[in-house]
Amino acid sequence: MVSIARKNLFEDIPRFLVAQAGIMFAVSLVTIQTGILNGFTRSTVLLIENSTADLWMAAREMENLELTQPIPAERVTQAQQVEGVARAEALAIQSGRWISPSGDIASVRIIGYDPAGQLFRLWNVTQGSQADIRQPYSLIVDEANLKSLGFDQVGEQANIGAAPARLVGLTKGTQSIASSAFVFTSLENTKAYATAGLTSTVRCRTQAQGGVDCTTVYERLQASPNQAAPNAPAISEPQPLNANDPIAYVLVKAEAGQDVTNLQRRLNDQFPNNHTYTRAEMANITRDYWQRRTGIGFVLGLGATVGIIVGVVIVGQILYSSVSDNIKEFGTLKAMGASDWIIYRVIIEQALWMAILGYIPSIGLCLGLGTWTFATQGIMILITPISAAGIFAITVGMCVGSAIFAIQKVTHVDPAIVFKA
Amino acid sequence: MTASQIKVNMLAKAAHHPTSASSGAFESSDLKSPKTKAIVTKGVEMVFQSGSQRFHALSSVDLDIYSGDVQLLMGPSGSGKTTLLSILGGILTPTKGSVQILDREITDLSRSELSRFRLHNIGFIFQEFNLFSALTAAENVELVLKLKGFKQRAARKEARELLEQVGLGQKINNKPHDLSGGQKQRVAIARALAGSPQLIMADEPTAALDSQSGHEVIALLRQLAKEGGRTVLMVTHDPRIIDVADRVAYLEDGKLKR
Repeated sequence: MVSIARKNLFEDIPRFLVAQAGIMFAVSLVTIQTGILNGFTRSTVLLIENSTADLWMAAREMENLELTQPIPAERVTQAQQVEGVARAEALAIQSGRWISPSGDIASVRIIGYDPAGQLFRLWNVTQGSQADIRQPYSLIVDEANLKSLGFDQVGEQANIGAAPARLVGLTKGTQSIASSAFVFTSLENTKAYATAGLTSTVRCRTQAQGGVDCTTVYERLQASPNQAAPNAPAISEPQPLNANDPIAYVLVKAEAGQDVTNLQRRLNDQFPNNHTYTRAEMANITRDYWQRRTGIGFVLGLGATVGIIVGVVIVGQILYSSVSDNIKEFGTLKAMGASDWIIYRVIIEQALWMAILGYIPSIGLCLGLGTWTFATQGIMILITPISAAGIFAITVGMCVGSAIFAIQKVTHVDPAIVFKA
Repeated sequence: MTASQIKVNMLAKAAHHPTSASSGAFESSDLKSPKTKAIVTKGVEMVFQSGSQRFHALSSVDLDIYSGDVQLLMGPSGSGKTTLLSILGGILTPTKGSVQILDREITDLSRSELSRFRLHNIGFIFQEFNLFSALTAAENVELVLKLKGFKQRAARKEARELLEQVGLGQKINNKPHDLSGGQKQRVAIARALAGSPQLIMADEPTAALDSQSGHEVIALLRQLAKEGGRTVLMVTHDPRIIDVADRVAYLEDGKLKR
């Protein structure tokens, strides 16, 4: 059949372009909002998904990757002795107060790991080497945070609390949008940053499931946040973790051929005061926390929903106006004997063309925008093939759904209008 | 085909004049061999209701239209001509009465059956042409052929032949806005003839045309009707057309006048 839909669409090019601009706006709005939502949730689980650990042992109170109670470092050696465990490594997460070279302060999240380990490795190291963080008070940051931390280049020095912080390397694409800037360093340095200028006490808790868990708690002895107290201990060489030092997670690799679920059960049985999660569970808990328990997921989801509603209104209005302009032609088709379905097909085809021709430039625009924001702002607008396909389906649904308004108009058209001049 | 050729053809085919009624239904006096009836209406009434107001558009219309005839439907504005044409074209269903078209009672047909019936048996020509502005002349004709089930290649060939037949062989790729009023109406005629329907229904086909174009279009309609053995039913105010008609029915206040 001659494509009346396509021909009608292209007959008035200026009007077609205005219509497509409206659809592009709606599609871009949906794409960017969902891209930011996806990029945001992906960024919150980057550290989890890039680890090679099969299991993550944490405090039972763990809410998300960065919000958990400390567990004693001795859990690493204890876990190592469980049958079926090939390897166990510590991962420490601490908060710190960053003092930039120019004196500006910011919150940072100190991620401590074993640079010689296998279960947590930095990826996309663009400058320096992971081995460099073994040096005292050395760290690696994401390129996206370079400016906000007051650095210009590798080799510069700032402070975390009272301790020095020397930049020895850079990564790319390792930062969570939801968090303070990550600084990656060794477990020893993490402990040193946690204890610099502080005094320590051992605090023990009786667990609900029985037993006592003791961790070392470090407390500041200073009145002013920027000035070390006169009686605070001097900055010393970072020391290895002792059994009671706090860590956040024990990363566990199962032996080859070991059933991970069985190992998870054994670890849970053996350490009733902790809970062991699979990597997927850990990622889901963290993702779910940010999406559902904070307003961020709702706000971004609302933005995407508004985009869809705006799209339906725009496309609906365009199609309705197009059908109104051609109502006599549709009446003529009906009078000549075309079934209602043939006319619906014309309108739906028109909607599909609008969807396709609005979608392609929009997705191209958003991919370009995503690349730019990631390169310049470190904000990921994540458009995966699946989300791109999903947005295409939404665009088609939006356009075809809007066509229903237009179809209503044609359904009620009296074919006798063709005889009216 | 030129305008003068059409005129010669028209004159050569010497039209019959409108005449009387018989057996209760209006029909022309026909001195030739008896013809079959293409359309038979009995007691057709059409009432439109708007709120509490009821308007009788047609009352007790009995009309016989014969195969191969050019039948005119005339009368003043508001007399019910277009309503009757819509009913005879299967577009409107009468409030009461019987309408037999090509031996088929169309008042019993469902909406979709009526659509199919119109598609395969009736070609329409409209006062304002009602061509698809985004389509070329050939595509306008092809569209109907495709609706009737023609394959693309066959539809294209048939459309080209029909447009050549109405004298627009050189304009097949022109869109309606590139054609004159007379040329547009010829495209509409070619479209109405697409798929060879037995009935052609035309609503004021010359109203939007100048005198010369009007003559050409009428001559063409008559020629194509007679050559193809089709029945042509035309609503018109145009007195020039009476000369080319086989029969004329007058409608006034929704009633046929004897």
